Amino acid sequence: MDDIEGKIVRNDNIVSNYYLLKMKLSKPMGIVKPGQFVMLKIPDNEVFLRRPFSIYACSRDLLTIMYRVVGRGTAYLSKIKKKENTFVLGPLGNGFHLKEKGNHVIVAGGIGIAGVHSLIGKLRGKASVFYGCSGRDEVALVGDIANLDPRISTIDGSYGFKGNVVALLAKHLKSIRRNNVEIFACGPENMLKSLKKLINKDKIPCQVLVEERMACGLGLCFGCVRKTVDEKEPYKRACREGPVFNLWEICL
Amino acid sequence: MGNLSLKLFGKTLKNPVMNASGTLGYGREIEPLWGVERLGAYVTKGLSLKPHHGNPTPRVWEERCGMINSIGLQNIGIERFFDEHFPFFRQKKTPIIVNFFGFTEDEYIACAERIKPHRLIIALEMNLSCPNVKKGGISFGKEASTVYNIVKHVKRVTKIPLLAKLTPEVKNIVEIAQAAYEAGIDGLTLLNTIPAVVIDTEKKNVAIKGGLSGPLLKPIALKAVHEISKTIPVPVIGTGGIMNHMDAIAFLMAGAKAIQVGTATFVDPYTIPKIIEGISEYLDVHGYPKIEDIIGIAHG
Repeated sequence: MDDIEGKIVRNDNIVSNYYLLKMKLSKPMGIVKPGQFVMLKIPDNEVFLRRPFSIYACSRDLLTIMYRVVGRGTAYLSKIKKKENTFVLGPLGNGFHLKEKGNHVIVAGGIGIAGVHSLIGKLRGKASVFYGCSGRDEVALVGDIANLDPRISTIDGSYGFKGNVVALLAKHLKSIRRNNVEIFACGPENMLKSLKKLINKDKIPCQVLVEERMACGLGLCFGCVRKTVDEKEPYKRACREGPVFNLWEICL
Repeated sequence: MGNLSLKLFGKTLKNPVMNASGTLGYGREIEPLWGVERLGAYVTKGLSLKPHHGNPTPRVWEERCGMINSIGLQNIGIERFFDEHFPFFRQKKTPIIVNFFGFTEDEYIACAERIKPHRLIIALEMNLSCPNVKKGGISFGKEASTVYNIVKHVKRVTKIPLLAKLTPEVKNIVEIAQAAYEAGIDGLTLLNTIPAVVIDTEKKNVAIKGGLSGPLLKPIALKAVHEISKTIPVPVIGTGGIMNHMDAIAFLMAGAKAIQVGTATFVDPYTIPKIIEGISEYLDVHGYPKIEDIIGIAHG
């Protein structure tokens, strides 16, 4: 892990307020596990702290992140032009923990696809992928995963299953082989909550990638904590003990 | 090469650069990038007698001028710090300053009593910005008489040099520093974060209430360092908005014996080693053989 200089080679609007940013790094980032993230310096003086982004893809010296404009930092980021230089600190945090064998089910909602994209790539078609978004336009966010035949839901019903992704998963849950099944999820808080409700009876193993406001990304400030069921030390750092947590150990 | 070493409370530090409490985790977290042995001294996360869970999120918020934090003093407690983390500093031969707090005067006293002198413990740093539960949550550092009493009582139970970290939210900081001095304080850390609030205009509520840190603190902290180091004869450690080595040099010139870097580490995790190198280079370029040559030269 290091703080690496990078040149922005692409910062394109994909659909609505979603963007894909690609950087050429001055040196390779090293081994990146699916679920890890970077702290990106947004090259604008108006933005003080770095921002955390899941690593969407990384090969040698090319790093890609996908982001949605949600606040001041991402708004400035969306205006950054090609060829600008910046810094990325990473790879950070614990990624998903993958067992050799297993029946992998990946559930993502909205920008949550950014967090599981590299996991889907690593499992190369060996996982069942469920993706939920608001409407037909956003289906484009599945990008190169489209050829892996993901099951898709849209809230407005304009594409695939009408409803949220957890409802879609519920429909298929019975047909998924139960031995060795493990769910990997990333998405809005409400998605994680309803997912937990859905699989609560069977307590299916489930790892979730969470999002928190962060300052340092390194575990220095204790700003990005998640409340867990650990009574002795309930607050765990998303950047260091996470951002991937066992669903059954965090409070939702 | 300019000599960066200095004496503080009778012990030699290799340079005047420290982290501000709570901005470098328990010390190990920065290891993948650089080691704590680079520091003049490592300042611990604020420790309490018993482990403390801290606040729910959001705990951090960005403002254009810096950031607001409301960590709520999450820490594993003094006992666990010395069991689990102190051996790491012993092994690295890195001097430490133990920052501590309490919610009652008795808790401060019990904390200080618990920490035994050690050649690597340079000082204890008492965080006086804590709410005093016996006085309706007003922070200890706000009234000169409270500061006098707590310093006096803590001094009684420890042989380790005692620093008081003062809050800027007072009518007259020199008066507070004077009270601490009269009670026997050995040094002062100036300043803590400034209490602040963010309003979420979409949700129409308070988004976060906490301590403001970052570059805007620099001139405020510099004023406190300049005035207090001139009038009160104990070492002053300057902190607040130091982003680079020239900011650090400004504090040294204002009269700080050492400086602490906090928020800047979040912006660039290499800020501390860069500041150490920058100060050394500055001394070389300007022909100062040792760091002490610039301390307080802005006093006029």
